[in-house]
Amino acid sequence: MNVREWALITFTILAQMSVGSFIVLGIVHYFVGKKAGEQQADELSDRALLAIGPVLALGMAASLLHLGNPLNAYKAVTNLGTSWLSREIFFGVLFAVAGAAFAVMQWKKIATFQVRNVIAMVAAGIGIALVYSMSMVYMMPTRPGWNLITTPVSFFATTLLLGVLAMGAAFVANYWYVQSKNPGCASEQCVLLRDSLRWIAISSIVLLGFQFVVLPLSIALMAASGATESAAMFVGEYGALFALRLVLVFLGAGVLGIFVYREAQSAGHERMMSVLAYGAFAFVLVGEIVGRFLFYATATHFGLQ
Amino acid sequence: MAKQLGFHINSSVCANCKACQVACQDKNNLPAAIRWRRVVLYGGGGWVEKDGRWMPNGVFSYSVSFACMHCENPLCVQACPTGALMKRADGVVLINQDQCVGCRYCEWACPYGAPQFNEAKGVMTKCNFCEDLLAQGQNPACVDACPMRAIEYGDIAELRAKYGTLAEVEPLPSASITLPHAVVTPHRNAQASGTGTGKIMNLPEEL
Repeated sequence: MNVREWALITFTILAQMSVGSFIVLGIVHYFVGKKAGEQQADELSDRALLAIGPVLALGMAASLLHLGNPLNAYKAVTNLGTSWLSREIFFGVLFAVAGAAFAVMQWKKIATFQVRNVIAMVAAGIGIALVYSMSMVYMMPTRPGWNLITTPVSFFATTLLLGVLAMGAAFVANYWYVQSKNPGCASEQCVLLRDSLRWIAISSIVLLGFQFVVLPLSIALMAASGATESAAMFVGEYGALFALRLVLVFLGAGVLGIFVYREAQSAGHERMMSVLAYGAFAFVLVGEIVGRFLFYATATHFGLQ
Repeated sequence: MAKQLGFHINSSVCANCKACQVACQDKNNLPAAIRWRRVVLYGGGGWVEKDGRWMPNGVFSYSVSFACMHCENPLCVQACPTGALMKRADGVVLINQDQCVGCRYCEWACPYGAPQFNEAKGVMTKCNFCEDLLAQGQNPACVDACPMRAIEYGDIAELRAKYGTLAEVEPLPSASITLPHAVVTPHRNAQASGTGTGKIMNLPEEL
C-alpha cells in the first residue's frame, strides 16, 4: 500500500459517503417536511446538506494524489465512449455541480420548493450514476477478484450505510448547535431528531444484514470464478483485518444502532443518543475504510504483469 | 503499409538470451525497471521415487519473448480516460505521453503487462513497434537483435498464413481476452494457456 492506493481509498469512500448522504438527506427531508412542515425540515437538515460539499471536495482532491501527472487531470473526461474511469470523473464533477447548485438554492431559498425538489432528484440520479460508474471501473477481465457482481452491489451498500450513519451524526451535531444558540426553543426539533434517528437506526441495521450477505457471497464468488488467490487472502494473510472490518461494522451499525433506537424512543436521553450516533458512524466509517483497503489489497492480476 | 502489424515469436528456438529485451531497452533508452519486451521462462516437472532411486519426472522448460501484442481488442485503449492510448491505422497501439494523466488504469486492464509506468515522468510508457525505425524502412530493434532469428514482424495476415494462428501458450493469458496480434510457434513442450502444470521460473528482477 502506498500513497496512490490510499488516495483511491479516500476518494471512493468519501465520494460514496457524499452520494449516500445526499440521498438519505433527501428522504429524511421529504418525510419530515410532510409531518412537520417545510420550515422544521429545513431547520433539521440544511446545515447537514452544507456538510456534504466539503466531504466530496476532499475526496476529489484526494483522487488527484493517485495520478502520476495531475496537470493532465482535466483531460480525463475525454474518453466517455469506452472508459469507465472517464465516466466516473464526468459524473463526479456533474454530481458536485448539481449538488452545489441545489445546496445554494436550498440555503438561500432560491426558486420554489418544487423546482428545488426537481434539482435535488436530478443530483441524486447523477450520484447513483457516479457510484455505478465508480464500481464499473473495477469490472475488468484482468482483475478477477473485482470482476464480480458483488463489486457494484457492495459499493452501493457502502454508499447507503455511510450515508445513513453520516447523516445521523450530522443531525445530532446540528441539534446541539441549535441548542447552544437558542436553548429550549427546539423542542419540536428534538422530537424530529428522535424520529429521524429511529429510522436511521432501523435502516442501518437492515443495511448491516444486507452487507453480511454480500460480503461472504463476494468471497464465495471469488473462490468459484478464478480469483481463488483473492479469496484465500481474505481468510489467510488478511484474515485478521477482515474480521476487524466485520466486527466494526457489526458493532457500529448493529449493536450501537439498537442502542440509538432505544435511546431515541423517549425524550430525555438526547445526550446518550448523540454519543451513540457519533460512535455508530465512527465505527462504520473505520470498518468501511478497512473494507476498501482489503478490496485493493486482495486484487490479483490475471495474465502477465 | 500493412493493415495490422504483428509479431511472430518462434518459441521453439528461443534460447532465453534476452538480447531482444536488452536491444529494446537500449534502442528506446528505457530505465532499468521498464522492459517493453521481456523473455519469460516457463517450466515444471519434478522428481519421482522409483525402485529406491529418484528419477526426473516430466521436467521441462521453454521461453517465450513477449511485448505489447497491439491487440485487436486493446483493453488499455478502451480503459484510458484521456484518449492518450490509441490504435494507429497500421494497428500499432501507441501512447501520447502529453495526454497521459498517469492513472495507471491501462496497467490494470492489460493482461500482458505492456503499459509500464515511468516513475520519474509520472506517465505510462509502452512498446511503439520502433515506429521511427519502421518509418525509415528498418526492422524493430528486437527483431534484428535476436541471434536465433526467433522474432519476425509484418502484416499479421501474412504471418498467420505462414505460421498458423496460435497465440496462447503458457504463461501467456488466453488470447480470447484481447485478440492479440501475435503468432507463436510453440516449443515442443509448450502447454496451452490455462492448462499449464509449470510456473514462471524467472527471478523476480528479470521480469
